[in-house]
Amino acid sequence: MFWPTDITAMERGRVLEVAFDDGRTIRLTAERLRVESPSAEVQGHSPSQKRTVTGKERVAIVGVEPIGNYAVKIIFDDGHDTGIYTWEYLRKLAT
Amino acid sequence: MVSRDEVMAALAPVPGPDGRTPLPESGAVCGVTIRDGKVFAAIAIDPARAKAMEPMRARAEAAIRAISGVAGAVVTLTAESARAAAGAPPAHGHETDAQPRRHGRSSEPLPGVKHVIAVASGKGGVGKSTVACNLAVGLVKLGLAVGVLDADLFGPSMPKLFGIGAKPSLAADGQKLVPLESCGVKIMSIGFLIEEGAPVIWRGPMVMSALNQLLREVEWGELDVLVVDMPPGTGDTQLTMAQNAPLAGAVIVSTPQDLALIDARRGIAMFGQVKVPLIGVVENMSYFLCPHCGERTDVFSHGGARKEAEKLGVPFLGEVPLDTAIRAHSDDGRPVVASMPESPQANALLEIARRVADTLVVGAPGAKPAPRIRVL
Repeated sequence: MFWPTDITAMERGRVLEVAFDDGRTIRLTAERLRVESPSAEVQGHSPSQKRTVTGKERVAIVGVEPIGNYAVKIIFDDGHDTGIYTWEYLRKLAT
Repeated sequence: MVSRDEVMAALAPVPGPDGRTPLPESGAVCGVTIRDGKVFAAIAIDPARAKAMEPMRARAEAAIRAISGVAGAVVTLTAESARAAAGAPPAHGHETDAQPRRHGRSSEPLPGVKHVIAVASGKGGVGKSTVACNLAVGLVKLGLAVGVLDADLFGPSMPKLFGIGAKPSLAADGQKLVPLESCGVKIMSIGFLIEEGAPVIWRGPMVMSALNQLLREVEWGELDVLVVDMPPGTGDTQLTMAQNAPLAGAVIVSTPQDLALIDARRGIAMFGQVKVPLIGVVENMSYFLCPHCGERTDVFSHGGARKEAEKLGVPFLGEVPLDTAIRAHSDDGRPVVASMPESPQANALLEIARRVADTLVVGAPGAKPAPRIRVL
């Protein structure tokens, strides 16, 4: 099982870089993370409720906070801060 | 009919929390409600400055009351939310580096507390709290500084198990509660704050907020281990603790019977999902030795928890018998590990404490360091 060793918001919050202990490093744009936020505000409570978020090309990450041992909460400059990104989810977004 | 705009306009001459920015522009006014000519509003402030903010509150209230058609106004001060504190969203990340935004929930380490461990089970009634209590006393006997957080808000057992009927006092800072002490263990429980037998009837958000308070607004001081006695199940409390407490590991308690093991498996799977490593499994009510004839009866079967632990590749921490002395001493508020330290029952529990302590030194199996998080 892979585990993140470094999670870094860079390029003025436009990119999140995650290094895993299996040697892989992934780069995700803030826009992608925002649009694919696992928050119920985006995903709803069933696939049919999923909202398509648009107009986030310029969104930036302003904060990353640990959630227990298993995830991070990403805070965006548009005020969205309810997405909890598990290690698996971050990895899945990169594939 | 008064409108929200009229209320905001009336507040324009009142300086906001910073003493300059007019209230409507400060972003601090929230929850404006108008009902039957009565206006309710809240102003978000830094709680540390509550006294200094009182004149502002009074001015705001008077300003709203002065609007024609307003029958009454109530303005309250509320603790600043992170969003109000940040004001307008910053343009980009650099501006927030100096002032990280504070959010109410956080899984930051607890200052002074080295390890937080959860004692959990899927099922209720397997003796989780009794094990947690004696485990804590056992850890004290091993020379550790130990606290117990009773996270079972709906069925707090720690006041009874430790024989404490007192109420906690407020710390010198006037903010935190001082935990109560018994057998060398610092204990905090919702049971200290409500009457024995009074029910707590809350929905999830209240549970989350109360747990955070019991965890963070208590003067734990320097602790080697904080033992969290979890309620049964895999719900709000478990998720809140997994998200907000930096859990070093979990101890799962189960009886040997299949019915309990099914739920124990769920508990184990839940901790797996939130990446809390397992310290091990305890088999409680493992067997019964008849106090009259000495014959052993496996009331709930035997060895089921050990087998389950082996199957899942989780350490097995030990067996605790179903025993009248444990039950009686628990009901008397005198944990067996403290009150009958030489007994085989106490030894079984002490041995479990020793294994837990040893595990914490090297880290629970599969425990990994938290990633380094940076916002450049």
